[in-house]
Amino acid sequence: MGIALRGLFGALLAGALTWQAPPITFAVIGDNGTGETPQYDVARQMLKTHATVPFSLVLMMGDNMYGAQQPRDFVDKFEIPYGPLLRMGIPFYAALGNHDEPGNRNYPPFNMNGQRYYSVVRGPVRFLFLDTNFMEPQQVQWFERALRDATEQWKIVIFHHPLYSDGDRHGPSVSLRVLLEPLMVRHGVDIVLSGHEHIYERIRPQKGITYFIVGSSGQLRRGGMTPSALTAAGFDRDQAFMVASIDGGDLTFQAISRTGVVVDSGVLHDRAATESEK
Amino acid sequence: MRIHADPLNAPLLDVTHPRLAVRVFRAVLNRFLLLPLGVAIAMVWANTDPESYFRFAQAASFPVNEIAMAFFMALVAQELFESLMLGGALSAWRHRALPAIAAVGGLIGAVAAYLSFVSLKHEQMLAPAWPVAAAIDLAAGYYLLRLIYPRRSGVVAFMLLTAVLTDAIVIAVASVQTPSFQLHPAGAGLLLAALASAALLRRRGVKAFGPYWLISGTLSWLAFYWMGIHPALALVPIVPLLPHDTRAGDVFADRLDGTPVHHQEHEWNGIAQVAVLLFGLANGGVILRHADTGTWGVLIAALVGRPLGIMAALFIAVLAGLRLPARMRWSDIAVAALATTCGFTFALFLGAATLPIGAVAEQVTLGALLTVVGAFITLGFAWAAGAGRFKVGG
Repeated sequence: MGIALRGLFGALLAGALTWQAPPITFAVIGDNGTGETPQYDVARQMLKTHATVPFSLVLMMGDNMYGAQQPRDFVDKFEIPYGPLLRMGIPFYAALGNHDEPGNRNYPPFNMNGQRYYSVVRGPVRFLFLDTNFMEPQQVQWFERALRDATEQWKIVIFHHPLYSDGDRHGPSVSLRVLLEPLMVRHGVDIVLSGHEHIYERIRPQKGITYFIVGSSGQLRRGGMTPSALTAAGFDRDQAFMVASIDGGDLTFQAISRTGVVVDSGVLHDRAATESEK
Repeated sequence: MRIHADPLNAPLLDVTHPRLAVRVFRAVLNRFLLLPLGVAIAMVWANTDPESYFRFAQAASFPVNEIAMAFFMALVAQELFESLMLGGALSAWRHRALPAIAAVGGLIGAVAAYLSFVSLKHEQMLAPAWPVAAAIDLAAGYYLLRLIYPRRSGVVAFMLLTAVLTDAIVIAVASVQTPSFQLHPAGAGLLLAALASAALLRRRGVKAFGPYWLISGTLSWLAFYWMGIHPALALVPIVPLLPHDTRAGDVFADRLDGTPVHHQEHEWNGIAQVAVLLFGLANGGVILRHADTGTWGVLIAALVGRPLGIMAALFIAVLAGLRLPARMRWSDIAVAALATTCGFTFALFLGAATLPIGAVAEQVTLGALLTVVGAFITLGFAWAAGAGRFKVGG
């Protein structure tokens, strides 16, 4: 009996060790809320992409709204362009950018629950959203605690101002990098997603973290990037968005232009796997 | 009593002097140039090796901004307090309503211009940075006007009182508005203990500043820290209880050792100026390409909103029956209003005190530094208007 139980327990344990959370797929947009044709084109392309890559949530990098932010603007700059996705029940999660009004965190479809910084868990991923307009000590403490307590296989951090960037307009925010990077390295963050610079860029891994800039899902600074040794890939000729799928220790991503051209793609591995390979 | 008479009229460099380096250092100290020096180093450092600069700046932030700067803020408060005492350079202005009206007008003008601009640009995120746009650099405005007017001119005293009142209002409102502010009963009790200990020291005739700083200052610092008020202001409530001598000459002149009070203020000035150098170094480094809406908002508020607000408020006051002081013309008032355009030291301080690290702080800090252009505009206007020393045949 005892042997049988031990065998059953052993089988369950082995099952638990080999069990993998179901894949999760998400889309990424940033600096999108212009209410103009390119934003609508990108939204249509997202819908087309959803047919083949059925993402289950959308992450917004900030500057979710430009210009006036009256109730009508939320319709024109968010609810109409992304209406088909919203009607499919796909939730959007937003970070705040410099053009967003602080009160937008109370707009229900942004799923911020009135918070400037928060985290969401989906399968094996913890998404942590920050407000880099003001990194007050309370937010930094929350971030460190949330990272430390996160048990998920993947940690993905989302905020508006990029820590690394080859964009010509703003460049990297080094003061934020000095503040946030040590925490993210210490607590095993895998991916950082930002916007602000109106281009798409993927940065070569820095201290084990891969940085993406997705800041051209509505706005665009055409030719607004000067590649450097940091650049893994970039696209500054048209609007773009990103889709990514996480399955076990692999993250497969594609950056797609508003005309549907895949402008960057690849597979990343979670840091634990990468470090154990080393 | 030996007063270091008028640093603006004293020769900056006397190369025949055997202790040239000491004299240069003193001249720089006396002229409050260590802050711009710190800022200049910080700007070069931040724009050439930003990572090492921001690592230094973030490590230095607490000891410099929250401890060392307490000595600088207290020194400014001491100098102003002594100037407001009976017989002091500003005493005759104590009961005048015009500087108060000008302060309110300038404040409304600057804040309205700033908030309107960021609202027009749809960047409401920048609104909490209004104290940076509203602050006035007392020393910069003072020395600027001393270049244009003689020391005893009413224009200098008028501008200074306007600036003092403005900064006092901004600091008070910004302190209360800070999310960390809590009127903690134990903190308030600690502050009362600080004041009581200073009063006791004064009653016992203690002339040395050391015990005041060590006992009362420490208690007050802890009280401010506890209540979430910026601790750099912690020594200010102690200042009225310190030993004083009337400050009849230059308001911000470093006085040499004539009396025990002067001697101690002179030593205090050395500490404060080192603090201000470190403050410039730790806070003045901004990446130039980060200039954005907040930068221009601060500039518009300082260069346009504030002088227009001051002029409009005074114009209304005169229409309502108040009179301009004797020997002050509207052109002098305009020069005084323009002399408030430089926010520099106090704007930097309020930025560091009220804004955490982040994109907003970077933008408005750059704006605060750029307000120095107000000094050149003031000199140009004074020259064009023939004000003060620029008066033809004057």
